[in-house]
Amino acid sequence: MFGNFIDQFWPSTIDGLSLGAIYALVALGYTMVYGVLRLINFAHSEIFMIGTFAALATLNAIGLSAPVGGLALIGLVLMLAVVAGLVSGASAVALEFVAYRPLRRRGASRLAALISAIGASLFLQQLFARVLIPWWFDLPKEKGALPIPKHFTETVDLLSIGDFIIRNDKLFVILGAIVMMIALDQFVNRTQLGRGIRATAQDPETAVLMGVNIDRVVSATFMIGGVMAGVAAALYLMRFGETNYFVGFLLGIKAFTAAVLGGIGNLRGALVGGLTLGLIEMYGSVIFGSAWQDVVAFSVLVLVLMFRPTGILGESLQQARA
Amino acid sequence: MLLEIRDVHVHYGKIAALKGITVEVEEGEIVTLIGANGAGKTTTLKTISGLRPLSSGRILFNGQDISRMPGHKRVLAGIGQAPEGRGIFPGMTVTENLHMGAYARKGDVSKDLAEVFELFPRLAERKNQAGGTMSGGEQQMLAIGRALMSRPKVLLLDEPSMGLAPMLIQQIFTIIEEINRRGTTVLVVEQNAQQALQLAHRAYVLETGRVLKSAPASELLDDPEVRAAYLGGGAGAAGGSGGSGDSGDSGGKAAAVASAPGEAAVVDEPVQKTAPDDRD
Repeated sequence: MFGNFIDQFWPSTIDGLSLGAIYALVALGYTMVYGVLRLINFAHSEIFMIGTFAALATLNAIGLSAPVGGLALIGLVLMLAVVAGLVSGASAVALEFVAYRPLRRRGASRLAALISAIGASLFLQQLFARVLIPWWFDLPKEKGALPIPKHFTETVDLLSIGDFIIRNDKLFVILGAIVMMIALDQFVNRTQLGRGIRATAQDPETAVLMGVNIDRVVSATFMIGGVMAGVAAALYLMRFGETNYFVGFLLGIKAFTAAVLGGIGNLRGALVGGLTLGLIEMYGSVIFGSAWQDVVAFSVLVLVLMFRPTGILGESLQQARA
Repeated sequence: MLLEIRDVHVHYGKIAALKGITVEVEEGEIVTLIGANGAGKTTTLKTISGLRPLSSGRILFNGQDISRMPGHKRVLAGIGQAPEGRGIFPGMTVTENLHMGAYARKGDVSKDLAEVFELFPRLAERKNQAGGTMSGGEQQMLAIGRALMSRPKVLLLDEPSMGLAPMLIQQIFTIIEEINRRGTTVLVVEQNAQQALQLAHRAYVLETGRVLKSAPASELLDDPEVRAAYLGGGAGAAGGSGGSGDSGDSGGKAAAVASAPGEAAVVDEPVQKTAPDDRD
C-alpha cells in the first residue's frame, strides 16, 4: 500500500493541491464572515453552487464547437471566473441583506443567525432543485449531475517530466487560487475598506468610534467571500466537469473544515488549511483507497484540533495581521 | 454650547442605565463625570458617540440634534473617543492604529501623525510595534492619540487612569491639559475623582444613572459630601478605579488612586441593586 503511495506521490500531490486550492477559496468566505460577524455562514455552500450554475450558463451561451487550448482557454476560464464571481458575490450580498441583516439590526442572538443560515441554505438548494434547474435546462425534476459541454472538460497535458505530468486544468486551478489570495491579501492590508474589515474583526465597537460603517464592511465581507466562492466554482467546473443543486453540500463542509483546520478567522489559515486538507485527502485515498478519503481527512482534523485547538496557524483575524 | 445632553434615558433591555441625564459642555472646557462603578458614566459616553441607542431625550452637538445619527457619522461631525479599556486593535501596529483614527477623514494625515508623535514621544519610539503587545500606559497614549487623529471638536475620554501607576496617571493628565490648551474640548469620565477634579473646569457627579450634583470642579473638591463619598475623606473609603494594585506610593493623592477591593464597598452598594449592567 505504501509502494503505491511512492509511485503515486507526484500525481497525488498535484491532485491534492488543485483540490485544496478550491477548498481554500471557498474557505475564505467562511473565515472572513466568521472573523467579522462571528457567524458560520452555512449558506455559503449554496453561494458556491450558484457560482457553478453561473459558469455553466455562460458556457452554454458561448456554445463551444471544439476543444480550446492555450490563450483561448485562459480567456475562457477568466471569463467564467468573472461571471461566476460577480453572480456569487451579488448573491452573497443579497443573502446577507435578507437572512442576516434584519436579525443583526434587532440584536438577535448568534444562534438565531445560525438557524437563519441553515434555512437559507435549504431554501436555495430547493429553489434550484425544484424551480430553476427544471426551468433552465428543460428537464423534469432534476436528480443527477447536469451535462457540461464536453469540449470544455477535455483537458490537455501541459508538461511532463518523466512520470510527472501537469494537466492544464489542475495548473489553472492552483494558479487561479494563488492569484486570488494575493489580491485579497493586498486588498485587506492596503485599502481603506480592507483596514475597516480588519478593524471590525478585531474590535467592532471601537471600529465604529473610528468612523467605520459596519454595514458597509459586512456587505464588503460577504461580497469578497462570494467572489472567491464564484471563482472557485468556475475552477471546479473545469476541474471536475459537473454540477447539481447539491454540489455545495459536501464541498462546503470540507471548505469549512479547511477553515477550522487552518485557524478560523485567519485568511492565511484558509489557504494553509485548504491545501493541507486537499493533500491529506489525496494521499489518504492512495494509501487506504479512495473510499477512505473523507475518513482520513476528518481523522486528521480531529487529531490537529486535539493538539492545536485553534488550528494550524492558531491566531485568528483578531490577532493576526490579516 | 458645543455638546448638550438633555434628559437622556438609556436602557439595557429592561434595566435603566441612564434615568434622565443632563450634561452640558462649552467649547474649550474640560468637563468631568465622576461617580462609582455602575453610575452610568461609560454609558453616557457610549450614548454620545452613538454606540448605545437612547430611549428618550436628546443629544445636541453644535446645535444640531444627533440623537439618531449613526455612530460612524458622529466621528466626522467632530466627536472623538478613547473608549473604555482603550480599544487598541491588537493586530495592528502603532502607526496603523493611528491611521485608523483618521479612517473617516480625507486628505493628508502626516501633520496630525507628527503632532501625535510630538505629544507622545513614546509612541514614535514604538511605531512598528503591534498594539496588543504594548503596556497599559502606552496603550492609553495610543488610544488618546488615535482619537486626536480624527481632529475632534470634543474628545471623550473613558477612564484614562484605569490600571495605571500614579506617575503615569500624572503624565497622562498633563497631556490631556495640553491637548485642551491647544483647543480641543474634553469630556473625561473618571473614577479617580481627586485627579479628575483637579484637571477639570466643571464636574458632574453621577449616581445610579442620575446627575447628583454639578458644579465647578474646585468647589466639588471642597464639598464635604463629595469628599466623603468619592475622595476618601476621613473614613478612607475610596472611589478608586479598581485597577492594578500599583499605587503603593501612599502620598497625598494616593487615597483616591488606591483601592483595595474591599474598600470600595461603601460606594458600590447602591449601584448593584439598580444598574448591574453598565459594563463598567
